[in-house]
Amino acid sequence: MAAPIRAGPEAAPPPLPVPGGVKRSRQLLHMSVLSLSASPCGRYLAAGNNYGEIAVFSLSAALSAEAKEESKRPIGVFQAHPGPVYSLASSERLLLSAGDGEVKGWAWNELGKKGTRELWTRRPPCRTSLEVPEINSLQLNPRDNCVVLAGGDGAVRVLDMESGSFTHELRGHRDLVHCLALRDLPPHVLSGGEDGTVRLWDLRSGTQVQVIEVHKYEECSRPNHGKWIRCLATDSDWMVCGGGPALTLWHLRSVTPTTVFPLPPRQHHALFHQDLVLAGGPGPALHQLQLSGELRGRVPCTPPALRCLCLSPRPPEHQVLTVAGNSPKIDVFTNLGYRAFSLCFT
Amino acid sequence: MGAVTDDEVIRKRLLIDGDGAGDDRRINLLVKSFIKWCNSGSQEEGYTQYQRMLSTLSQCEFSMGKTLLVYDMNLREMENYEKIYKDIENSIAAAHEKISECKKQILQAKRIRKNRQEYDALAKVIQHHPDRHETLKQLEALGKELQHLSHIKENVEDKLELRRKQFHVLLSTIHELQQTLENDEKLSEAEESQETQIETETKQ
Repeated sequence: MAAPIRAGPEAAPPPLPVPGGVKRSRQLLHMSVLSLSASPCGRYLAAGNNYGEIAVFSLSAALSAEAKEESKRPIGVFQAHPGPVYSLASSERLLLSAGDGEVKGWAWNELGKKGTRELWTRRPPCRTSLEVPEINSLQLNPRDNCVVLAGGDGAVRVLDMESGSFTHELRGHRDLVHCLALRDLPPHVLSGGEDGTVRLWDLRSGTQVQVIEVHKYEECSRPNHGKWIRCLATDSDWMVCGGGPALTLWHLRSVTPTTVFPLPPRQHHALFHQDLVLAGGPGPALHQLQLSGELRGRVPCTPPALRCLCLSPRPPEHQVLTVAGNSPKIDVFTNLGYRAFSLCFT
Repeated sequence: MGAVTDDEVIRKRLLIDGDGAGDDRRINLLVKSFIKWCNSGSQEEGYTQYQRMLSTLSQCEFSMGKTLLVYDMNLREMENYEKIYKDIENSIAAAHEKISECKKQILQAKRIRKNRQEYDALAKVIQHHPDRHETLKQLEALGKELQHLSHIKENVEDKLELRRKQFHVLLSTIHELQQTLENDEKLSEAEESQETQIETETKQ
């Protein structure tokens, strides 16, 4: 005799228990991962979100052949800043995190343990204590062993790692600075900001070398979206910048826009990788573009908007790309063509 | 010790020929028939029994030879499999190496493609600007025209100077002539007035 067929809806599998209860699951709904950074050995990934927490994931465990559900959760989550963690950067031994007006340094080998405390905190000087500007971008310059940071007050500051003091303050932007990029030869810092300019600064002399007003060039400007520059990436001779104006490839020596990429507006983050430009923005997709302007691929991702992309610094054959955005999930790509799996904040 | 070896022997025998049919039974039969033959009476029976025993013996030898050959074959098969296994392992290692070589080549090819695309992008921009030779030619033509025109200008200026000088000479001569004429007139007027004075004086 056959068992009676149940006529009602099937029972859904019980959801995984979220530690922290209902409040935490509501927080997870509204969580955005704003910054990512991989450890120099390539085995760990740190992610900072808009609540000021930093989660450390073990990439090597998640990529190994015996990965289970557990390895997709962080090995440690701690509260780093009272405000959102806008930017992360890694040096050989340190993880640097930037939040509202402060930069903290953490040691990588202590991040997995409980009760991690920062090694040091530095606050760049600000004019009033009421309006503390956020630090939007951090870039580590390994050659001079200094950190370049830029944020809401429009000044690009250089923090020397050995002495711990702010050596240069480069002023020139008329509004806040969104993004920074470092260029190797000649050694310049590029900064892109809300005022629509990309400025090149020389770190040794502390002066502004060049100003590129992106919105004045007709090929890439889109006046209905504004003139702000949100993402910058550079490859010594070439630069990719976008935001309000379309994402464009520039040749820096002659300061000419060469290719305009056919992407929807307002890209948040762009990277040079091998022979491609990877870009992510408000659509739930990672765009791969060739330098000639063709869209080589559009890979769908879990977050509905991408905020940051990070390439792990392993040998080039095993490089892993991680992307994150307006979602507690972080997508990991082992091959650029498809999403391998997702790590998840808890 | 006897018990152990007995157990071993029994186990081995059971393993090889457990059901009692086959070689073991043949050997038992041989032994029994040998005993029977020793105790047999007549010549003919003994001869037939002897023949039968010889045939059993040869059967036993034949089956033993067969098992030895099978054993040899198994050994050789094992060797063969070992060799194949080693070959496959070597080819796996070679394939791994080839894969990493190919990956390096892919990276190289990607770099080359990137360079080509950068070149193309710059070339497109450069194409927008006009050709250098043409611009040079235009520049040369313009330069020649300029020279020609300045030449003409010099000539015209020289002519102008010359004419001006000539006019100057002409005008100054005219002035001088005018002066001399006026002087002459004045002189003749003065003479006339002198004459009239003398006349009025002589009349009185």
